[in-house]
Amino acid sequence: MNNQRHKPVLQILGRVKRDEFIGRSAELERLLAHASFPADGAVAAEAQGMLVLTAPVAGVSELLRQTFDTLFSRREEVVPIYFALPRAETTAVSAAIEFLNTFLRQYFAFRRDEPELCHASLTLNDLLKLAPAPDLDWIQELVETYNQHRFGENDRELVRFCLTAPARVLANDVRVFVMFDASQLANYFDSPFSFASEIIKALNSLNECYVLAGLRREILGAVESVCAASNAHQVLRLDRLSEDDGRNLVSSEARRQEVVINDESRDLLVQQLEGTPFFINAILRAAREAHLPLESYLACERLYIDELMGGRLNRYFSSTLEVIAPQPDLRAAVVRLLCEALPGTNRTASIESWRRRLQLDAGELEQLLQSLHIYELINRDGATIDVQGSSEVWRDYLRSRFRLDALREPRALVVADVMASALKRAPQKIARHYRRAAGLPLRELVGTFSSQFVPQKLFQYAQYAEIYKGAMPEEISSGLDSDKDLLRLPQIFHAASGVSFSRALNALGEENSVVAHGFEGAAYTDENEIVWLVGKLESKLEADVPLVEQWLRALENVARQSGFVRTRLWLIANEGFSAAATELLRAHNAYSSSHQQFEILSSRLNPELSSAVDGEDEFVLILPMGADNEMLAASTAEQIARRLGFSTEAVNQIKTAVVEACINASEHSLSPDRKIYQRFRVEDDKLVITISSRGILPANLIANFETAGDAETRGAQAPTNERRGWGLKLIRTLMDEVEFERVDEGTKLRMTKYLRSAKVGAPPVASDT
Amino acid sequence: MGESIKSSIRSHCVGTTAVVYASDYLNKLTGERIERECKKQLESGARALVIDFSDTELVNSIGISILLGIIDIAEKSGALVVFSDVNNETMQLFEMLGLTRHVVLARNEQEALSGLSNSTIQRPAVGH
Repeated sequence: MNNQRHKPVLQILGRVKRDEFIGRSAELERLLAHASFPADGAVAAEAQGMLVLTAPVAGVSELLRQTFDTLFSRREEVVPIYFALPRAETTAVSAAIEFLNTFLRQYFAFRRDEPELCHASLTLNDLLKLAPAPDLDWIQELVETYNQHRFGENDRELVRFCLTAPARVLANDVRVFVMFDASQLANYFDSPFSFASEIIKALNSLNECYVLAGLRREILGAVESVCAASNAHQVLRLDRLSEDDGRNLVSSEARRQEVVINDESRDLLVQQLEGTPFFINAILRAAREAHLPLESYLACERLYIDELMGGRLNRYFSSTLEVIAPQPDLRAAVVRLLCEALPGTNRTASIESWRRRLQLDAGELEQLLQSLHIYELINRDGATIDVQGSSEVWRDYLRSRFRLDALREPRALVVADVMASALKRAPQKIARHYRRAAGLPLRELVGTFSSQFVPQKLFQYAQYAEIYKGAMPEEISSGLDSDKDLLRLPQIFHAASGVSFSRALNALGEENSVVAHGFEGAAYTDENEIVWLVGKLESKLEADVPLVEQWLRALENVARQSGFVRTRLWLIANEGFSAAATELLRAHNAYSSSHQQFEILSSRLNPELSSAVDGEDEFVLILPMGADNEMLAASTAEQIARRLGFSTEAVNQIKTAVVEACINASEHSLSPDRKIYQRFRVEDDKLVITISSRGILPANLIANFETAGDAETRGAQAPTNERRGWGLKLIRTLMDEVEFERVDEGTKLRMTKYLRSAKVGAPPVASDT
Repeated sequence: MGESIKSSIRSHCVGTTAVVYASDYLNKLTGERIERECKKQLESGARALVIDFSDTELVNSIGISILLGIIDIAEKSGALVVFSDVNNETMQLFEMLGLTRHVVLARNEQEALSGLSNSTIQRPAVGH
């Protein structure tokens, strides 16, 4: 690994420290790799550019700021430049001048290794005085030329000059990497010339790698209008955070803002705020300001409504609407129309009806709709306008705004109604999330079908059960391995929820059906085309005839209504199917599997998917500190280690290490909850135990850990001195790998013991001297 | 041969040798009980201490540090310390932390007592 990556990252432009920057590590790595890639004069200018296509408020600015901080801290030959089009600047000229100023400030900051310059308020003349000697000539020339343009009358020339300033760098030992954040580009739509075109042309003229970030529904079109070969750009897409990253962000931000939050509230916020970093940060900052712990749905929803009706969420949507529709009357009319297009109102909105109601000409209406579309407040679909697909936070804002401004309802009534609605929605939202998370990943699995051969019995419950019911996993596995009766899966090219094809399937569970299109055999022909209709049945016992009948009817209806020619039905039930139901399935030529068969199929086709399903390899134990409770932890470790087949000696070493880790956690942390959190994770050839506790860690413990290896003979030589503090030394001796980590909330000790450990005997520490 | 069970620590005396039994888990609490018992026996004139670990399944580093304290006190009193019936895992820890350099080891209580009575047990070579 590159040592440079271990350099601490300075917090220069980043709003959060590097270890608090959650969920975009893959994107950050891509940007850093792009920065490190030397420009190639033989390659088209566009090919050196990377487009970051982002959803609104998905955190692109912070991602670029973190990239800047990392590159700056590395002190290599790449000079990072980050510029974000200001939301408040009113003209392209002022924004371009700001770019020039920012470029010089950041360039000098890097060259002089003075990061604080990035934040200094300096004129060009001030900057000129700071110019490093090797750069003085070209910078002097740049400022002189700038002054000529500044007092000229051609705004476009001035903008062009400012934006191309980085191309004038004449230093040989460095190269400039510009990251242009144009997510506010829509604010500049009334420029007398195309500001977007000037930006793109200027970046292409750099002859260096660069990044251009912008709203995904805007920037690609802008680039295509300038560059013939827009597909030459590299593309990085930034969407909402994954659920895991969303949870991590909420937890991290709650810690940073010192907001008490429980797991239930964390999950609710991730679902409700749709993994959008800006919304998550806004809610947690509001919680901090209100000194409000988020330990219930009620607390979360109350804060959410407050934010929606008067906080940061409100300001974000209000200011966005102000940009899109600056006149108050027009804005109010737009809100009314959008609200009428919301689901549940039974009214569809056509573009023609908008034109009539808003009394705009075609060009004005086009501009308005385009702006709403760019900010993802609507989806334009031919002649209709859809608000349903937009964010739920936005829809909540719209409803409240409409009732307050248009219907003039009392604020207290609106607040109460919106909160009641949010509270009613919260458990449903969480239940849906849990169902999704805990359910079989049907769509994901079917999506991996790609002409593989698998044992036919995995799709024939009755035959499978006859042979393997009650068998040990190893027996099943070896039996299936030697099974010559194989089924060739189709090659699936599209898999979607059954509900997307028929709302009627919703009654059988939103996540319970999949419709997958594919081909059987190698040739893409009509004869080979097939649609798999898959259903997951909810049944605690073997599924019986009525339930199977209901499912077969529902799936066959979908096939008929959708005009599918060749179909294959596949039903999956937790405990399989009764004999009569099996007969029925056979009559319909349908495949059938139990949960176990599904799991085996998953593990064969996609082991990653399978391990995500079961989670049977991890144990969590939370114990109060004290009262010899470390013995409970040791006993748990013993049980798990024995099950894994560790030797008696190794089991005792693990137990002792666990006891010592618990003692350390109890003794060395000023823990607020007085609890020890233990996680035992079984991996292929090892047991990984993590012991953590909340609280403050005294500095001497770190020193103790770091010097533990040097104190091998301390005990032997000095029984009366320094008799304590051997815990970590013992752990390191007994376990194969030990990592000690200070985390925001306390400490975490991660210990690993391998099944084939080298540490099978006691090291002869106390030899005679 | 008198036997006391004060503080849940079993002990008895054989002449000027006190035998103290460690419990199944040697930690801070049980270690301190052993320490108190050993001190009491030394104050009563014991010239040797046999600490028997036949019941001991697990020890922790705090327990070990207390044993080192007992060894220290015994040495200052001119008394010998013998560890008997130590299981392999516990022995490994004792060796790791250097206890075995300061005590005599015996397979069991009987071997410890007979060794002390016929003077085949000597003070460990390495002191401090």
